[in-house]
Amino acid sequence: MNTVFTVFRKELTDAFRDRRMVMVNFLLIPLLIPIVFGTLTSVGAKQQRERLEQALELPVVGADRAPNLVAWLRANNVDVKPVEGGLDEAIRAQTYDVGLTVPESFPEEWRKSRPAELQLTFDGSRPTQSGPSIQRIQGLLAAYGSELGSLRLVARGVHPGVASPVLVTNRDLATPKANPLTAFFVAYLLLMLSFIGGMHLAMDSTAGERERQSLEPLLATPVTREGIASGKILATAAFAIASIVTTGLFYKYGFGFFAEEGSRSIIDTSAALLGQLFLVILPVVLLGAVFTTVLAAQAKSYREAGSFVSLLMFIPMVPVFAGQFLVVKEKLWMFAVPLFAQNQMITRLVRGETLTAPEWALGMGTGLALVVLSWLVAARLYKREQLAISG
Amino acid sequence: MIEVQDLRKTFKTKAGVVKAVDGVSFTARDGQITGLLGPNGAGKTTTMRMLYTLMAPETGRVLVDGHDATRDPTAVRRVLGVLPDARGIYKRFSARENIAYFGQLHGLDEATIRARTDGLVSALDMADFADRRSEGYSQGQRTKTAIARAMVHDPKNVVLDEPTNGLDVMTTRAMRGYLQRLRAEGRCVLFSSHIMQEVAALCDHIVVIAKGHVVAQGSADELRERTGLPNLEDAFVKIIGSDEGLFA
Repeated sequence: MNTVFTVFRKELTDAFRDRRMVMVNFLLIPLLIPIVFGTLTSVGAKQQRERLEQALELPVVGADRAPNLVAWLRANNVDVKPVEGGLDEAIRAQTYDVGLTVPESFPEEWRKSRPAELQLTFDGSRPTQSGPSIQRIQGLLAAYGSELGSLRLVARGVHPGVASPVLVTNRDLATPKANPLTAFFVAYLLLMLSFIGGMHLAMDSTAGERERQSLEPLLATPVTREGIASGKILATAAFAIASIVTTGLFYKYGFGFFAEEGSRSIIDTSAALLGQLFLVILPVVLLGAVFTTVLAAQAKSYREAGSFVSLLMFIPMVPVFAGQFLVVKEKLWMFAVPLFAQNQMITRLVRGETLTAPEWALGMGTGLALVVLSWLVAARLYKREQLAISG
Repeated sequence: MIEVQDLRKTFKTKAGVVKAVDGVSFTARDGQITGLLGPNGAGKTTTMRMLYTLMAPETGRVLVDGHDATRDPTAVRRVLGVLPDARGIYKRFSARENIAYFGQLHGLDEATIRARTDGLVSALDMADFADRRSEGYSQGQRTKTAIARAMVHDPKNVVLDEPTNGLDVMTTRAMRGYLQRLRAEGRCVLFSSHIMQEVAALCDHIVVIAKGHVVAQGSADELRERTGLPNLEDAFVKIIGSDEGLFA
């Protein structure tokens, strides 16, 4: 136990004296995340607001055939533009998001009180850019239609309600935080940081130690190799945890700094949620520490270790992407599969849902069991003779 | 005391099986300096590695103060100070911190570590660099740190693999002086070298190794007598059969 602590303390001291490693893990990553998320959310919110407040630019073909409609649109903050060149070309060139055509038959149909055709032209393959404009003009036209319809019924002495046999209202049960994309991002970032957050320390303390030729004297001391391996694994985990906690605190207190006033963080940053998330990723951190340490210890040099360990980046991506793109109904057994369980737990927590006791027990239990198992394998691997020889 | 009996170790390489050490036996006594002389590639480092329990011998055994290196490697490591061929030190730590880490690994308390470190720093003349970080140390300063680190638990037996490798003349002289001091303290000192002059000047007992075998052993006088050559260097060359890989 004493050995483990001695090695643990030495490796952490060594790592914290490595200025570059500290800069990356305790300044760059923690700063980058609130900057990226803060800027993105405020820019996104600003764009959306501007679109709603701005007059909608609408090129109209045949505006003179429906002067009443055009006047109504203008009154509803639509900037009606004459069309120069073809409408299709203007939409394709992305000059406008959407265009309106009033066909030649419109005045005739209108006078005879038959449904008069109006045609919208847009490019459906660009939903993020033109989607809000399309929805807005569709809404306006529908409102115009129902307003005029009601007036016609009233003019004929019929109650307008007759034309609306059903009234549909929506009740969305999603919690206010349940943005599916947000949960995906948070799960991905957290699993990634947990799994490989300490990888530089793992590589430096194993492959680096071998490369700098200090492994052989270390193994000539009377300490056990399991003790050395455990100390290094724990140091890797502690480093990752410190980096994640720093990132979390930077996010909690730094988000408002980078986001514009009033924009809401993509996740709730209450201590309760952050604490639960921390608990969830603990097995992942330990698992990542064992994996990176063992893998890097097999490498001859720091560089070789880097190429091994970077393969590990794909491991936490599997459950996150599977959860995002495969349509599977959540079942309790999923909480028995490490990493998948943590992805599920993070997603649920970020959505503002609670986890049941069996879900907690299964997720944490199987995660920690796998940690113990891989730790035992790591200790065995550390006993091999080839490990000691520097070449 | 270090007793080595009929050690064998083979390595599998792409070219086939290499017998690195093939039946090496010798004894290094307390209060003596024993030299392992041989050209590069003779099997010195492999023999040393089996001695300080980093490798397990295929046959034969190593006894250090009566402890078997295969059966009880921990006991052997406790009574052995080792300067391996690989002697890297932690460059973000000062010499003192490097020494202290090994003291802690040997289970020593802080007061003992401090006292021993002070003794080693003065014995090895390290005072002018011991407190700064070892990044930028000269080769000699690194070797001194590595030796001090190996001696922090005050071992009765000291094993050094080519201790003067890459050192300048002054540091080499200081190193030889330190080895003689260890002998005077009654320790068992075993070192390997491919430098004939060094072995001739320092050793009470010389073990000559070539191609994994012990080809001769004895005191300098005995080796001269055996070959009938008055010059020890000529005697070494005659025993080994070639001067390839040796250094005067």
